[in-house]
Amino acid sequence: MKLAFILAYKNLIGAGLRTWLNVGILSFAFVLIIFYNGILDGWNDQARRDTIDWEIGQGQISFNQYDPFDPFTVMDGHGVLPEKDRKGLVPVLLRQGTIYPEGRMLSVMIKGIDAGQTALKLPTHLLTESDADIPVIIGKRMAKSARLKKGDEVLIRWRDDKGTYDASSVTVEGVFDCNVSAVDQGQVWMSIDKLWEMTGLKDHTTYSIITDGKINKVADGWNYSSREDLLSDLTRMIAMKQKSSSIMYGLLLTIALLAIFDTQVLSIFRRQKEIGTYIALGMTRMRVVWLFTVEGTMYSFLATVVGCVYGIPFFIYMSKAGMGMPEANQEMGIVVAERIFPVYSAGLILSTVALVIISATVVSFLPSRKIAKMNPVDALKGKMQ
Amino acid sequence: MTTESIISIKDVTKRFPVGGGEFTALHKINLEFETGEFSGLIGPSGSGKTTLLNIMGSLDTPTEGQAIVMGKDISKLTHKQSALLRNMHLGFVFQVYNLLPVYTVFENVEFSLLLQNWSAAERKKMVMESLEWVGLQDIADKKPAKLSGGEGQRVAIARAMVKRPEIVLADEPTANLDAANAHTIIQTMKRLSHELKTTFIFSTHDEKVMGYLDRIISLEDGKVKKEQQVEAKFSLS
Repeated sequence: MKLAFILAYKNLIGAGLRTWLNVGILSFAFVLIIFYNGILDGWNDQARRDTIDWEIGQGQISFNQYDPFDPFTVMDGHGVLPEKDRKGLVPVLLRQGTIYPEGRMLSVMIKGIDAGQTALKLPTHLLTESDADIPVIIGKRMAKSARLKKGDEVLIRWRDDKGTYDASSVTVEGVFDCNVSAVDQGQVWMSIDKLWEMTGLKDHTTYSIITDGKINKVADGWNYSSREDLLSDLTRMIAMKQKSSSIMYGLLLTIALLAIFDTQVLSIFRRQKEIGTYIALGMTRMRVVWLFTVEGTMYSFLATVVGCVYGIPFFIYMSKAGMGMPEANQEMGIVVAERIFPVYSAGLILSTVALVIISATVVSFLPSRKIAKMNPVDALKGKMQ
Repeated sequence: MTTESIISIKDVTKRFPVGGGEFTALHKINLEFETGEFSGLIGPSGSGKTTLLNIMGSLDTPTEGQAIVMGKDISKLTHKQSALLRNMHLGFVFQVYNLLPVYTVFENVEFSLLLQNWSAAERKKMVMESLEWVGLQDIADKKPAKLSGGEGQRVAIARAMVKRPEIVLADEPTANLDAANAHTIIQTMKRLSHELKTTFIFSTHDEKVMGYLDRIISLEDGKVKKEQQVEAKFSLS
């Protein structure tokens, strides 16, 4: 075993440029796989954290007639949660409305939330500190699309519990910056007490956010969704993205492995006399097969070393500097931060190294098997076809 | 010279498939080689010299008959046993040296010892001693590409001798060398044969080699045409 490694190392180093070309392309594949997966893991990590911090908390209890994917259920999808079940919950009431910034008309979702809450990162304290009649906070995307800024007043129209339209001016008390477009785009946040007052829906909630994650029993007519339930779409989407991107780096790895395979086939053909000499000097054919397999596998070891040389500084830089994401991504309803900070876990690195080494071993072994069938006399003469 | 038979060739026939038929390279050969012999197989191309050498080196097996090397019938050896026989008891010297190009002179000579699991210190001692035998101790760090033909063949001899084999099989060892180098090479082998009691068997066309041989076996069309003990023309200088 040790001998095979020593000989394989000498043969590879002795082969010069051919070795370094193979090592270069394999290390590039190796670094790219880790880099791309690191980006996806970083995105996943950040998106989950942001979604928990800004939108879903530790889970939700929603009125059973409310379907977040069906806007027609907003009007009647609310109810009064029994008082005994309200402990550890932050109530949220949803109402559809319209704002008229600069004479334009924009449909919005009015969201009333307990202004004293700390379960979400929403700066609802601004609502309690305000002297305005109806203070609201909005996200930066909403502010941009409605051309509103802190201190602006805008007319808002809504329907009360009887379906009657009403309207009033609201004051933008703050513009918050978050990556979760679901709490930003088209959303106007105000105190739930004010919204109850405006709509006559005292104590009604569409859903409540769980602050500590411990829910023993849910009242009739209400549905419990755990944090993982609410994150499942995001998790599925990122998993799908990982699968689709694996095609890209699978292709790159295949090219690198093909180069190794090709080199091995060529080596065995070109180095017949060497193989014959090994056998004449007393190596068994299987030992020569093993030597050539180790030689091919060693490309992956060298690629790992070379990949570490330029990959580690690159990964460290990327995990600190992050990668800027196009603004368009952030407006597609996907939770994408302006900068994604890749996460390079030990598991990711080790599994990628293992994948590259195992693949290189397999493609090295396949052509090397031919040696086992070689006639040493023909090999010494270089006569094998 | 002792009378102990180290190689025994009994009715050996070797046929190769050629096209739809067969080519008989060796036909019922019977030969005995004794320990410490310095003998050669001569004959024109296609006479079967290399084939016989390959069979004696357990690189090939006879189609019929028996080749017994160091008391072992090579037809009955497994690949592993055959490799062990070559590694422990046989040395090879090839016409084109067959040095491993990426290794240094030292590493080429060391190779057989690596297979025998000697310690690093012992290997170094044995390799340097072997290089001394052929007068190349000063170029141990050179790669084969930097060697002259004579030097390359001397390295090949050192590689064959480093493990102190009982038998060295040399296939046209002087074919690519000029006269001066050919004499040096063959003298080196003769001296080692004498000092280490190693059996040397050559295949050769070279008159210069023949001048050093104790016994000449002439092959023609796969048969032993003539076998004679000779008085060496050249002595060790």
